Amino acid sequence: MKIALTLNGEQASADVEGDSQVLDVLREQFGLTGTKEGCGVGVCGACSVLVDGNPVSSCLYLAGMADGAEVWTVEGLAAKDPDLIEAFVECEGMQCGICTPGQVVAAAALRRHNPDPTEEEIRTWMSGNLCRCTGYGTIVEAVKRYVGRD
Amino acid sequence: MTATRGAARLDARDKATGATRYVADLSLPGQLHVAVVRSPLPHAEIEAVDVSSALAAPGVVGVFTADDIGAPLFGRRVRDAPVLAVGKVRYVGEPVAAVVADTRRHAERAATLVDVAYRELPVVASAAEATAPEAPMVHDAPWDYPGAVVGPGDGPNLQSVVRRGDEDLTAEALRSAPVVVDALYTTPAGHQGYLEPQGCVARVGSDGLVEVWINNKSPYRLVGQLAASLGLEPDRIVVHPVPIGGDFGGKGSPMAAPLCVALSRLTGRPCRLVLRYSEDLTSTNPRHPTTMRVRLGADRDGHLLALRFDSLADGGAYAAFKPIASVNLHGVLEAGSPYRIPHRYIESRIAYTTTVPKGHARAPGAPQATFAVESAMDELAGRLGIDPVELRRRNVLGDGDPNPDGIVWIEARGREVLDAAVAALTPRPVPLGWQHGWGISLYDRATAPGQTSLRLLDDPDGGGVVAEVPIPETGTGNHTVVREGLARLLGLGRDRVRVVHVPTSDLPGDAGVGGSRVTASLSEAVERAAAAWAARTGSEPVVVSLGEAGGAERVTSFSAQIAQVAVDPETGQVRVLEIVSAVDVADIVNPAAHRMQIDGGAAMGFGFALLEDLKIEGGQVGAGNLGDFRMPTAHDLPALTTVLVTGGRGVGALNVKQIGELTNVPTAAAIANAVAAATGARIRSIPLTAEAVLSAMGAPE
Repeated sequence: MKIALTLNGEQASADVEGDSQVLDVLREQFGLTGTKEGCGVGVCGACSVLVDGNPVSSCLYLAGMADGAEVWTVEGLAAKDPDLIEAFVECEGMQCGICTPGQVVAAAALRRHNPDPTEEEIRTWMSGNLCRCTGYGTIVEAVKRYVGRD
Repeated sequence: MTATRGAARLDARDKATGATRYVADLSLPGQLHVAVVRSPLPHAEIEAVDVSSALAAPGVVGVFTADDIGAPLFGRRVRDAPVLAVGKVRYVGEPVAAVVADTRRHAERAATLVDVAYRELPVVASAAEATAPEAPMVHDAPWDYPGAVVGPGDGPNLQSVVRRGDEDLTAEALRSAPVVVDALYTTPAGHQGYLEPQGCVARVGSDGLVEVWINNKSPYRLVGQLAASLGLEPDRIVVHPVPIGGDFGGKGSPMAAPLCVALSRLTGRPCRLVLRYSEDLTSTNPRHPTTMRVRLGADRDGHLLALRFDSLADGGAYAAFKPIASVNLHGVLEAGSPYRIPHRYIESRIAYTTTVPKGHARAPGAPQATFAVESAMDELAGRLGIDPVELRRRNVLGDGDPNPDGIVWIEARGREVLDAAVAALTPRPVPLGWQHGWGISLYDRATAPGQTSLRLLDDPDGGGVVAEVPIPETGTGNHTVVREGLARLLGLGRDRVRVVHVPTSDLPGDAGVGGSRVTASLSEAVERAAAAWAARTGSEPVVVSLGEAGGAERVTSFSAQIAQVAVDPETGQVRVLEIVSAVDVADIVNPAAHRMQIDGGAAMGFGFALLEDLKIEGGQVGAGNLGDFRMPTAHDLPALTTVLVTGGRGVGALNVKQIGELTNVPTAAAIANAVAAATGARIRSIPLTAEAVLSAMGAPE
């Protein structure tokens, strides 16, 4: 089937199969490999993208459901919102980096939904994004910096 | 609180924007995709493989079995793992056939059409079953495999057995000790938990040159392993640089490389296999589940007299995934290392079973052994009526004391570390009706540089220097360490040092990321390279190569952790309120990266203690996805408090001590000791689930 969407602020279309996930379409058809496949079952958050402003696990989001939607990936958010990237760079909110695009997307979504979160709210919001390396301290600090709470 | 600033990571921006390209992000011209047909049974003979339906499926280029690729065996020391099963399968998830197709989707769909007929064989589900008399043999003659370290006289189904120390003297000391703790401790199988699945792309050129892109942290070792497995000359194999999306010990084995190379040879095109995460959880090389009997004797003043440590670990179907010469777990062989113990005897056996093969996981063997010994230390303290911290202070190594292996470290700061941890402890609020307690645990680990190499050349892009390094960035910040060291020693700005990971063809060698040696090895290489660079007269590149022995310094670091817990007596739920980590440090190259090694280690120790279990039963991994194999989230973790005990003497010009495998090790015992302090219930098996805690507390009627 054919889908049309707004991808990182631009009109885009793709031919997808009925069981294609947004993750596969982004990576294979649009070459947007910043979105990572981790667990494949919607638990780890490495594949997070924004669909109509909400963070979703693109590994479980059928491409057909993205027809007509506005989708933002880490690449688009990085280009649009340099402060988001600077916060993670300055706080060194990453180690191996495989979860980082998902963390960045989740942080962007948090600021939309809650512009002034407490640390507890940040930790709860970010708990959909696993990180095995850091123990989360520098990631939480990056999010705090991004929302202006540090 | 703001982040600690230091040598800002050179890989930060590309990682944050998604620009970093990992193995799954690569695409070679003409590449084909591989899907693996895996065994659904733990132990069976393969009677027939029917590939006809799969061959007819859309996009399929070929379907291959051991009949097509021959029977090469691979391994890191012992070469006992077939690339595709030969006549028999020995674990659920073992590769039986490979489908090669134009897309991943086509390959995966066709893989479901391969029809394999099996005849079931007896399951050998645990190390205890494997070592019982009359146990079915997982391998007919394991001693015949290249690199085997066992013989027919060692008993059934053993991958490795190591005995260390004097058994008779230890037995004698235990017999005459006034107080002896004798207890059994068990730990489960656990996945390393890297979020990037194992993957590989291989291309065999028409000239026979083998090129590999893989998330493998020991690329030079991989060249040797592939050469041995495939009968090639090492100089015909190149492993290309790829960053690694998390390792924790799990990314050091050849994994899919021998298969992808074999398939590329057969198809004449690059072949790519990236595992799905559930394949990774069920069929790679998780941590050994281990059963340990501890016999720990002391005099009435609490001075340790003897330790006997018997460990039996489940090595799974193949020994191929263990890299060290003993094919054992060094953390087990170092049990009790922080203490003066006059007589210690260790016997560590690793058994073949019909379960997923086991490999290395962050400080291999040490989280298990330290859980056992440090729990036993608290049990001993209880028997003696001595405070657990005081018992450790009485026995911890001081300067000049030989450790149980006879090593005298250049300094031994365990007492300072214990005191620092205790000083940092402040009681936290406890929910009404919950029981409160805290527990301590101690560990020490050496810093030993190893083999590596480095090349410096003038940066053609103007002004600065290019440092070519042999190992991937696994996330620890090792490339940033090289940049920082060179910038300091050469007096250059950081922006004038460019660090580039190069193919294996370009540098003399490296032992791989691991063993807590990377910062030490690289900083030693940096020191020598900087000296040679300063002394050069022309513009020729500088190459330095460090041998296996590395530096001669005898440096260790201690870490003490205190866990503060609240336990709900109604449900057995354990809430960890805080983990204090006091760590022994010298100079710190990058404070943020150093801190993340500490925090990330404590988080991993927390998961090991409370959450993570692959639940292998009857040969089958039960926790086959990340929903079932639970790892800590930002919300799960307690406050992580770190005390840096500074002023240590490290190695090399940068004066460094290891940090990567220091704080994941003592955590489980600290938490178990805290639960015992809170409830009176001593639990000798992890993870400490609410059910286990409630049951140990005596469930209310």
